[in-house]
Amino acid sequence: MASGIFIVPILVFLFGVSIHTAIGASLVSVIACSCSSASPLLKERLTNIRLAIVLETATTLGALSGVFLVGIIPTSYLYWLFAAILVVSARQMLLRRREMAPTTERVSRSWATMLRLHASVPDEARGAAPYIVGSVPIGLSLMYGAGLVSALLGIGSGVLKIPAMDTALRLPIKVSSATSNFMIGVTAAASAGAYFVRGDINTAIAGPVALGSVVGAIVGARMLTGLSGDKLRNIFVIVLVLLAIGMALGGFQAHLKT
Amino acid sequence: MTDVAGLNDDKDIREIQGRVIAALLRHGTWLASATIGAGLAVLWLRPMTGTIPFGVSGVALMKIGVALFIFLPVLRVALMLFLFARERDTVYTAISALVLAIMAAGFLSAI
Repeated sequence: MASGIFIVPILVFLFGVSIHTAIGASLVSVIACSCSSASPLLKERLTNIRLAIVLETATTLGALSGVFLVGIIPTSYLYWLFAAILVVSARQMLLRRREMAPTTERVSRSWATMLRLHASVPDEARGAAPYIVGSVPIGLSLMYGAGLVSALLGIGSGVLKIPAMDTALRLPIKVSSATSNFMIGVTAAASAGAYFVRGDINTAIAGPVALGSVVGAIVGARMLTGLSGDKLRNIFVIVLVLLAIGMALGGFQAHLKT
Repeated sequence: MTDVAGLNDDKDIREIQGRVIAALLRHGTWLASATIGAGLAVLWLRPMTGTIPFGVSGVALMKIGVALFIFLPVLRVALMLFLFARERDTVYTAISALVLAIMAAGFLSAI
């Protein structure tokens, strides 16, 4: 989770790449990570495929809006928006995700019921634990925002998707993580495709970054299991805050240049 | 247990759909990664051999690899469209078509 958010700041600060090039490269690596990690989650039946395609109508529409906006928004604003998202991510990492009390009542006329979205997760004790999907309209509007931010900043927007899925849709945590990860690829491809056609993606940078993140995701998952959760959380929070400060300053620098 | 009527009917369908989609994404990721890897290898080998190995430039291979990654989710939505159409699931065939149309609009607007 939240690995895509580090790529843009790393490319900008360590490699001196322009923020637009960094965003394009990051989008490709977000797609790569989503596709490479989707397969085991699908096999474990944690991904709600129908819910994903329903919500993807909103995320791709948001991404499309982002593609049109990115040329109009001043570069300094992109830095500041990025800094804000980093701060929100740090805050979210400090607050533990809590499992919402599952709703057991099926609202007969809700969108989720009409779209047959309710499903079940594999459960060791009971074989399968059914869950009821919450408010689809609220979920859709939050997903539009997530798609927009994803296209503007080149991130997966997990930080915006997770509250939507936990709070509005009331999904079990594992389902919400798996479904969000599954959707990120399509969301990022909607904007990355447009940037690619425009010639805005520098493949000499995007290629190695994408390959590196597929390999890194495999190696990282093994390495991280060795560290304690709390230690890891603290390291992440500190890094996120430092990057937020860096991006905010980068924004002022870009602002002065124009 | 809550009343989840209709859940078991399409459980098998969901399982099959999941497996088919997982296979596409797994093979697609491998193919795209391998293409980018081959591109990098060509770039590194070129100064040593003096010629372009395999007759393709490293930059071109990397570009193909990146394009494959971007195209993979499009293919995933197209596959879902096909799977839903085969189940005669009109609502979900239409939703998949809508997502595909939005993605296509993005690509076309950029030309």
